[in-house]
Amino acid sequence: MEFSASPVWFIALPLLAAFSAPLWTRWHLLDHLLFGVPLVLLILALGLFPTVHEAPLLETIVIAPPLGIHLHLDSASLLLVTLFCFAVTLVAAFLWLGATDSHLRGRRPFVLILLLLVGGNGLVLTGDLFNLYVFLEIAGVSAYVLSALRDDRPALEAGLKYLIIGSVAALFFLLAVVLVYLQTGQLNLAAVAREFAAIPPAMQGLIALLMLIGLGIKSELFPFNFWVPDVYRGSDPAVTALFSGLLVKAFLFVLVHLAVLIWADPAVARVWLMTLGALTLIVAELAALRQDDMRRMLAYSSLGQIGLIMLALGFFSETTTAGAFFHMINHTLVKLLLFLVAALLLRRCLSLRLEDLAGAARVSPLAAGLFVVGALGVLGLPPFGGFMSKLWMLQGFAEAQRIWPIALILFAALIEAGYYFRWIRVLYAPVAPAASADTKTTPEPWAAYAPLLLIAGLMLLLGVAPFLLETSVVEAAHALLDRDLTLQSVLGVAQ
Amino acid sequence: MNLILKLLFLAVSLTPALTLLTWGDGTLAWPLFGGFELLFELGPLSAFFLLLLALGTPLVALPMARGTPDRAAYGLFALLLLGMQMLLLAGDFLGLFIGWEVMTWSSYLLLIRSTRTTLEGAQTYILFNLASAFLLLAGMLVFYSLTGDFRIAPLTEASAAGRWAVFILLGLAFLIKVGALPLHRWIPLGYDQAPDLFSAVLAGLISKMGLYGLLLLPTLFPDALAGLSGRLLNGPAAGYGLAWIGAITAVVATFKAISQQDIKRLLAYSSIAQLGYVVTAIGVGSSLAVGGAIFQTLVHTLVKLLLFITFAGIVLQTGQRRFNDLGHLIDRMPMAFFAVLIGIIGLAGMPPLPGFAAKYLMFVGLIDARWLLLLAAMMLSSTAAFIYCYRLIYGPFLGHANSPEARTATEAPWSYLVPQVVLMGLLVLLGIFPGFAIEVIVDPVLMTLGLTPIGAPSWGELATPYGGYDGVVLMTVFGGAFVIVTALFWLARGQMRRAGSPYDLSFAGEVPTADTPLHYGAGMGRELRRIPLIGWILAHTTAGVQAGLTRQTLAAAGLLGGLYRRDPQTWTLLAVLVLVVASTLLALNGGWF
Amino acid sequence: MLEFLDSPSVLHGLHTIGSLTLFAVGLYGLLGKRHLLKVFISLALMELAVYLLFIALATTPGETAPILSDGLTAFVGMADPVPQALTLTAIVIGMAVLALGVSLAIRYHRLSASADIRTLADAKD
Repeated sequence: MEFSASPVWFIALPLLAAFSAPLWTRWHLLDHLLFGVPLVLLILALGLFPTVHEAPLLETIVIAPPLGIHLHLDSASLLLVTLFCFAVTLVAAFLWLGATDSHLRGRRPFVLILLLLVGGNGLVLTGDLFNLYVFLEIAGVSAYVLSALRDDRPALEAGLKYLIIGSVAALFFLLAVVLVYLQTGQLNLAAVAREFAAIPPAMQGLIALLMLIGLGIKSELFPFNFWVPDVYRGSDPAVTALFSGLLVKAFLFVLVHLAVLIWADPAVARVWLMTLGALTLIVAELAALRQDDMRRMLAYSSLGQIGLIMLALGFFSETTTAGAFFHMINHTLVKLLLFLVAALLLRRCLSLRLEDLAGAARVSPLAAGLFVVGALGVLGLPPFGGFMSKLWMLQGFAEAQRIWPIALILFAALIEAGYYFRWIRVLYAPVAPAASADTKTTPEPWAAYAPLLLIAGLMLLLGVAPFLLETSVVEAAHALLDRDLTLQSVLGVAQ
Repeated sequence: MNLILKLLFLAVSLTPALTLLTWGDGTLAWPLFGGFELLFELGPLSAFFLLLLALGTPLVALPMARGTPDRAAYGLFALLLLGMQMLLLAGDFLGLFIGWEVMTWSSYLLLIRSTRTTLEGAQTYILFNLASAFLLLAGMLVFYSLTGDFRIAPLTEASAAGRWAVFILLGLAFLIKVGALPLHRWIPLGYDQAPDLFSAVLAGLISKMGLYGLLLLPTLFPDALAGLSGRLLNGPAAGYGLAWIGAITAVVATFKAISQQDIKRLLAYSSIAQLGYVVTAIGVGSSLAVGGAIFQTLVHTLVKLLLFITFAGIVLQTGQRRFNDLGHLIDRMPMAFFAVLIGIIGLAGMPPLPGFAAKYLMFVGLIDARWLLLLAAMMLSSTAAFIYCYRLIYGPFLGHANSPEARTATEAPWSYLVPQVVLMGLLVLLGIFPGFAIEVIVDPVLMTLGLTPIGAPSWGELATPYGGYDGVVLMTVFGGAFVIVTALFWLARGQMRRAGSPYDLSFAGEVPTADTPLHYGAGMGRELRRIPLIGWILAHTTAGVQAGLTRQTLAAAGLLGGLYRRDPQTWTLLAVLVLVVASTLLALNGGWF
Repeated sequence: MLEFLDSPSVLHGLHTIGSLTLFAVGLYGLLGKRHLLKVFISLALMELAVYLLFIALATTPGETAPILSDGLTAFVGMADPVPQALTLTAIVIGMAVLALGVSLAIRYHRLSASADIRTLADAKD
């Protein structure tokens, strides 16, 4: 196999870089590598698009003939891997250029962020259930520590809460994996998918439920997402940008991927996933109305968008799924932008509470302007990419003559507008900014805004020229939804 | 640097004119995804509204460019123009919606640049407008699900239920934009709180986009809406409801306008009322009525731009915006006086200005449709409109000055006066040549909508099957009378006794203090509340409904938010409970649901 | 006398009951105890229950350890090696998470003088 064409690099490279961190510390290369490693992977991923367009890439690292670690890179996972590498690159650039607080510099965040990338990439790439569990834990552990990184009381609370609920989720998932193995003797996803129908129905239900709850907790779906606002509130905004932009997307993908593979009957899966998505969407948007802390508000809004994506993915039609993939990309961009703006505002105004931010646009006009761009993007207003992806999903529903999701999505968007515009109004309030804002008068270096401006530019580009991504998302939707194709490509190699 | 910026800004404000002149017959397509593309082309209907933009934007931009340049406002204004032009040029719903949204959010951002905007005002503005936008989106998605295409084209194949759904969704979207009752609340709040010059854009140009949408409805449902559900009396049954919405809006908003104490709020309500006429006329759907509606749209744009720019000048010079706080500006700001005089004549629809021609056409259209009850309502509203028009001229200009600022005010800067003069000139010219407006501006639009053109014997004449008039003669007579009366007053000027300051007055031994409302205009319109039905209407607003809705939503939000404020154990318990309950159900069902 | 215990079905049944009991005990601790360390211990117990279940149900009596040595060159009569490998991995991961949790709890205790899971709930903002 050609050196550059192996999906294993998406996992191995950050892992190697993370574990040789002491070396980089001594050579003062941490910032460069935190930026460089994902960038290299991003370029690699972009270079792989033509190859994967031909056929999915499979990589089996053989330990002993029946045992092996199996990686599966198809259009869908490649799209997500690219997205993850991009997100990490941007956050790394922001941390590097933005004169960040000391706890976000240095060896610990370096290792953890790269491990998070390993976890995210592994989750979407892996082809067997147990490795899925391992990557779930890798991503989980690095996320727990990342949220507790600031090492003060709110951060530790966030970390502890995340750790407890995350462990419960992992436990549920592990139990499901164990049951699957005991029932089928298989761990390879494709093999499991083939033999899943032979399991007694009651056991099928139990396994599916355990997986749904375990991954539901991780991917922040409604009755299992109560932990999200607390964790997002306690963590650093730059870190939550990664949670919302990278981690949740990976889990969502895993959930839908498993649902497609295992639930042979899409009608049942559709009912379950769409219900969960719709509930998540509406509950989160409503709850966000009353939030007075920007991080909490963004957390709820992130939940709402996750619900929206789930609603569209769960419909299992190619159009809505393509739209959902596009929306994942847009949502990652938007939430990176908003959380990084929040990070800047937090440093500037020392608080992210509504009343403390009144008139903040005078102190940091660029940050406020970028917040407006982000808000418009997340609301799905043209000319930003969010509009195109929302339109895509809505058009998918309209095509299938389903009116209720359209009504629900639009209603939720109206509620969402209710709180985002409230925040915009407060940022531009015609009052003197709070006294605390003046204590720190040195403006951020312009370089700190560079990643944010890049994101804003990309959002605009995707809104004006959505056809740029059309092939990739349509192919991704096809790869995700076509169960037989996956089975064939995997088992054709594995056997 | 500043000069260059300003020149650039003014150049941007000329883009609608440029588009109108240079576009021609070409179409422009821009691919999106999945085979969809944005299609831009210029039809007569869009051309008419583009003409309004082309007239209005430079006139507003000129005073806006005064003083230190406000870069953000310039940028947003450019975006607003881009959005409005996009929505007018769009040949499909996608472009229409994109333009609509860009217009919505850029106008919101312009609105909150005023120091007067409250949170409530801003939220009301954006939520009503977004509700309108999302209804439009829903309507166009239903349209898409019926036809499989986003192109704006007659909807003839679809089922009755589907057609009604599209009609209602789109109709509601556009009615919110024009401020039909009871969905009007954002208009008085928004127009009142917006920066003074921007109110002119809101009332003169942005609200017209709603009318553009309403005029698209006859395109979608051909045969003047009659295709939807047959005819009633002599008009389309589907339009009958629309017409009543317009008429009720007109009547109620007129009385609301009379009772206002703030100039900009009064103008806002009068805007609602005037657009109510247009909605009624569109509902009638006959060639005469729609012609009147288009004419009225044109006149209302000119009049509202004139009035809002003039009052923006007055607010700029005096800092006062309530009737009670102004007065006697006729001496200090004579140009503003003339502007308002011309403006209210146009607003009230009195001859010789073109407002009369527009109203005449609409009334004739109603008579033609035999919808006489509606005609009565419109008559009532347009008669009552005289009262608020009178207030507009009396309160600020006549009587005595009621605040120190009003006593020392001077004429507004030239950048405010130029638009005033231009607009006055346009109104007078249209008054002289109503036939020109009919032939050149109104008829092409009527033909696109599939209606018979009205036509005119000559540019100076307005002719309908129910009679007409000659604008030149009329203007000569009125102009002559005006000149003669003014000359007489001028001659008698020295001999007339001028009233001194009101504070010379004393009664019952008391000398009125400065805050005693002695101004004749004080409390004007208050007595309206004692008229039985009108008093009831004035006493009731939709503010309570809106506040109640907000409260309920927030309560629901609080309830749901409470779920999230728990400890990890509760979260785990919930997850376990879901597992147990769901697996029990599964076991009972013996498998999948 | 107790040979019947060696029959696979009985043995598996016993193991299942045992690990489910263990799981229930862990669940009770997780949901009912307030001290953070107790919560972590309960989590560890539940994990343990899952490992036990896995190993127990994947082996039948009489199988030998899956190690190839001089005399043994084929996987015959041996226990399935996969569950054991997986369990080992899972144990390592579980250890790591547990250690992390305990260290976070200790830090939290130092800062707030509390190790009560309920005090985590009153989020301050």
